Amino acid sequence: MIFQSFKMAWKSIAANKARAALTMLGIIIGVVSLVVLVSLVTSATNSVTDQIAGMGNDMLTVSVRDDKGNPLKAADLAEIAQDGNIALIAPTAQSSAAAKSGGETVNVSLEGTNGSYFQIRGDELASGRFLKAVDLENVSYVAVLSNETAIGIYGDSDATGRTLTMDGRKYLVVGVLAEDDSMMASISQAYSVYIPYTVMERLSSGTSGVSSFYASAVDSAHMDEAEAAVERALLSRFKNDGDAFYIMNQNTLAETMGDVTNTFALLLGGIAAISLLVGGIGIMNIMLVSVTERTREIGIRKAIGANRRSILFQFLIEALTICLVGCAVGIALSGLILIAINAFAADAMTIGFSGSVVAASVLFSTVIGVAFGLYPARKAAGMPPIDALRYE
Amino acid sequence: MIELNDVSKTYRIGDEEVKALNHVDLTVEAGAFVGVTGPSGSGKSTLMHIIGCLDTADSGAYRLDGQPIEHYSENELAAIRNRKIGFIFQSFNLIARMTLEENVELPLIYQGVPSHLRKMRVEAALEQVGLADRRKHTPNSISGGQQQRAAIARAVVTEPALILADEPTGNLDSKTGENIIALFHSFNAAGKTIVLITHDDRIARETGRVIRIMDGAIDRIARPDTGTQTQVAETAGQSDPTNAAPNGDHSGAATGNGIDAGEKQPGKRSKR
Ligand SMILES: Nc1ncnc2c1ncn2[C@@H]1O[C@H](COP(=O)(O)OP(=O)(O)O)[C@@H](O)[C@H]1O
Ligand SMILES: [Mg+2]
Repeated sequence: MIFQSFKMAWKSIAANKARAALTMLGIIIGVVSLVVLVSLVTSATNSVTDQIAGMGNDMLTVSVRDDKGNPLKAADLAEIAQDGNIALIAPTAQSSAAAKSGGETVNVSLEGTNGSYFQIRGDELASGRFLKAVDLENVSYVAVLSNETAIGIYGDSDATGRTLTMDGRKYLVVGVLAEDDSMMASISQAYSVYIPYTVMERLSSGTSGVSSFYASAVDSAHMDEAEAAVERALLSRFKNDGDAFYIMNQNTLAETMGDVTNTFALLLGGIAAISLLVGGIGIMNIMLVSVTERTREIGIRKAIGANRRSILFQFLIEALTICLVGCAVGIALSGLILIAINAFAADAMTIGFSGSVVAASVLFSTVIGVAFGLYPARKAAGMPPIDALRYE
Repeated sequence: MIELNDVSKTYRIGDEEVKALNHVDLTVEAGAFVGVTGPSGSGKSTLMHIIGCLDTADSGAYRLDGQPIEHYSENELAAIRNRKIGFIFQSFNLIARMTLEENVELPLIYQGVPSHLRKMRVEAALEQVGLADRRKHTPNSISGGQQQRAAIARAVVTEPALILADEPTGNLDSKTGENIIALFHSFNAAGKTIVLITHDDRIARETGRVIRIMDGAIDRIARPDTGTQTQVAETAGQSDPTNAAPNGDHSGAATGNGIDAGEKQPGKRSKR
C-alpha cells in the first residue's frame, strides 16, 4: 500500500512536470545551501583544528612582557622544566639577517632556540640533525634550515654540510627540516633559519634573558596542569604580577577555534534551514492549488470508496515525495558543487561531504514535507464527496 | 434492498431554498431494474446520491439492506460505497492521467485487495466490457463509449450488489448508448440491483419499473412489464394496483409523454 501510494504520488507529480520542478527548486536550493555551507564550514573547522593540532596540541607559548629588571635565565627555565607535568622547554628569540650564498643575498628570519624546540613543534628532518645541547654550550655557529630556505638558497633541500654566511658570519648547516605543508607554514613566506640560542644572545649583545619560550606538557591531557605549573613559577618570579607574562595554551586555542567555527556552522545552517522552510511554504502553496484543481478527482475517489485517511495519505505522500525527490536532487547537486570547489581550490583544503548534514537535510525535508503537506491534505480529505463530484 | 422513508433534501443558495427532494418514499427490491426519469433539475441526481451514500438526507430515513444509514460514520459510508455500490456517471468520471487498468484497479486498492488478485479482477472486468485490449490506454485516447465502458468496469470490478447510473448514455450517440444499456441488462440478469437515471424514454421503457420525479417528488410509478400504471399521491409509494389507469396498455407511451412534457423546455431530446 505504501509503495502503491508513492507510485500514485509520483504519477500525479509527473503529470505536471514543470510545476513540480519549480516547486522542488525551493527544496533543492534549501538543501544545497544547507549541505554545501555546512560542509564548507565543517571542513574549514577540521582543517583549522588539524593545523592547531599539527602545531602540537601539548604546547604552551609563553612570552614575558615585563621582566621587572630581572630577566629569565636559562637556569630559570631548567627549574620550570623540573615540574612533573612539563616535558620540554625551549627558549626562543627572533631576529633577522641577510644571508649570502653565491652572489645572491636574501633576507632570512633567525630564530635562536635549542634542540627541544623541534621536538615540541613535532618537526621532522629532511637531512642532518636538529640543534644539540653541545651547540648551545659551545656557542657553535651552526644552523638548521627550513626546507623552503634550503631550496631558496641552494636550490636543493639537501644542504647539510654546506656553509651559510649571515651578516658576515659563517655558519655550518647541520640540518634541513622536512617539508611543512601546514597552512601556517604556507602563510609565513619568510625563510626560517634556526641557530643556537646562545649564539643569538651573543649576536644581540644588548638584550639579555629569555623573553619568550615554548613548553610542552607530558601529554595533551595534562595541559592545564602544565599551564598552572608555568604560571605558578612565573608569578613567584615576577612578584605575583599576572600581567607581566602571557601564556597561550594550544588546547584552549583549539577549543576556542572549535567554538567559533561551530557557531558559524550553526548560523549558516540556520540560514539555509530558513530557505528550506521557504521551500516548504512553496510546497504548501502548490499542494493547495493541486487540491483545488483535483476536487473532482477527490470526489471520484470518494465515490468509489476512498475514505478520509486514503485521501489524506495520498496528498501527504505527494508533498513528501516532492520534498524527498527535491532533497535527493539537492544532495546530488551539492556533491557536484563540492567536487567542483575541491577541483578549483585543490591545495587549500579538501571539503568533505558532511554525512551528518546530509542526514539532517533528509530529516528536515521529511519534516517539512509532512508539516506543510498536512494542511492541504486535510483539506482534501475533508471534502464532502458530493461537493467534490459536482465541482466543475 | 433500498428503503427511503419520507426523505427530504433542501439546498440553500443565498436566500433561495430548493427542495431537491420533497418527502420521498421509495422501495427498491434486491435484483430490481429501476429506471428513473424526470425533467432536469427535478432531483434525480440528488436521489441517486442519497441512495449511493454520497450524500445524506435532511430528514426522513434511509435503510440500505435493512441498515439505517444515518448511524454510519463517514469512513463506514466510504466502505459501503466501496463494497456495495457501483457508480456510473454521465461524464464518465475517469481519472485522466491514469490508464484504464489503473482506473479500474482503484476501488480494489481502497478495498485492500492484494496486488495479484487485483490484476486478475481488473483483467476480468475489462474483458467483460470488451476493453481488454485497451487497458494501457488513457481515457483521453479512446472514444466516449469506450470511456463509459471503462467506467462500468470500474463500477462492477468490486462485484457490488447495487449499480447506480446517472444518465450513463447522456453523452453518447444512441447506437453506443444501446450497447451500454445492454451491459446493464446483462448485469441485472446476473442478479444485480440497478437504478438507472435516463432521459431516453425508450431506455426507461426497457427497465423493470419506471419512477418519474417531478419537483423533487415521485410522480408516478409505472410497471411496463405488467402493463399497469399506477397513479400515486404526492407522497409516493402508496401504490394501489387496483386503481389502474384507463390507458394501461400504453403505460410506456404515457410515461414517454410525461418525459416529453418535462423535457421540452431544456430541449435535450430534440437531438435524438
Ligand atoms: N449542491 C447543490 N447546491 C445547490 N443546489 C443544488 C445542489 N445540488 C442540487 N441542487 C439543486 O437541486 C435541484 C435538483 O438537482 P438534481 O438532483 O441534480 O436534478 P436532476 O439530476 O434531476 O437534474 C436542482 O434545482 C439543483 O439546482
Ligand atoms: Mg442530474
